[in-house]
Amino acid sequence: MNRYTLCLGLIILLVTGLTSCGGSSEKANIPNNVSALSNKERQYFTNGQQLYQTLCVSCHMVSGEGLGKLIPPLKNSDYLLANVPGAARIIKYGMKGPMMVNKVEYNQPMPANPRLTNLEIVELLTYISNNWGNEHGAVTLAEVAENLKEKAD
Amino acid sequence: MRRFNQALVLLMVIISIAACDTASQQRLPIIGNTQYVEVNGKIDTVYHTIPSFKLVDQEGDTVTEKTVEGKIYVADFFFGTCPSICPVMAQQMLRVHEKFKDVEDFAILSHTIDPAHDTVAYLKGYAEKLGVMNNDTWHFLTGPQEEIYELGEKDYMVTVGEDANAPGGFIHSGHFWLVDKERRLRGFYDGTIASHVDRLMNDIKKLQAEYE
Repeated sequence: MNRYTLCLGLIILLVTGLTSCGGSSEKANIPNNVSALSNKERQYFTNGQQLYQTLCVSCHMVSGEGLGKLIPPLKNSDYLLANVPGAARIIKYGMKGPMMVNKVEYNQPMPANPRLTNLEIVELLTYISNNWGNEHGAVTLAEVAENLKEKAD
Repeated sequence: MRRFNQALVLLMVIISIAACDTASQQRLPIIGNTQYVEVNGKIDTVYHTIPSFKLVDQEGDTVTEKTVEGKIYVADFFFGTCPSICPVMAQQMLRVHEKFKDVEDFAILSHTIDPAHDTVAYLKGYAEKLGVMNNDTWHFLTGPQEEIYELGEKDYMVTVGEDANAPGGFIHSGHFWLVDKERRLRGFYDGTIASHVDRLMNDIKKLQAEYE
């Protein structure tokens, strides 16, 4: 055995050893309904996923299921899907007080995200409304801008 | 040279297996500042221990060190209106609760760091919204702020405090502590990461085995 093959063998061993430790990295899963959207919207979806993981995931959770009767779900959420562009206001200005989602009352304040741009909100909305079985379709900059026209109370 | 290489291969195999933490069946460490005192000419070891405390849970029951006497427990710090890491911590703690709630000598203590807001009544609602309908295992604790902060910072060695710049107005650590029946700290886990909480649940079983 020459030294070259030995070195190679060692590297392979080390790599398999480390990868066998069960660090299953989650790949970006693009649902079928998103594949049907345009390139631009798929890009929104992917960027929205990044934003979601930074801003939303610790309350609304990885699969959009929310938490008990404390944090409402986004997955199959009648509230969200009834008015997706309208949710832009909640993302940007936050929300307080009771709300009904899928016949359950929730009453946990949601913080505002005043620094988000309209584009980022489009990306977030594209992600949450087309993921986990939600199939809203495209969200446009124009409709988000329209919903954000009036300032928060 | 060849021998050396073979030894190296063996070493790397061992390291990569050990890194997976599957083979480790050794006792959990005892964490914290260990002191040695002389008693009648002999050296005695004094471990870092959670001292006596007196708080109130979501049912209005007084919870003290007596409540967790003879129990293994998991402790964390949170607040009800926390918009950052608390919900995911609660989601993970729910997994622990689901798995161990029927175990007699097991408890969970979640301390609020915002007791002015998180009253007994509020915590009862909070627990029920999470699906925790009684205080048999999981106690959501409130009480004098100074006592909770001292317990957090000095005894559980976590970051807790008010900070106007932090989301929700408080900063706190998202860690879970595993505490043994002698109220010694035996494990420290990131309560926001599922794989860390898997390790915690595994360590609870290991710790139970120490008492069998």
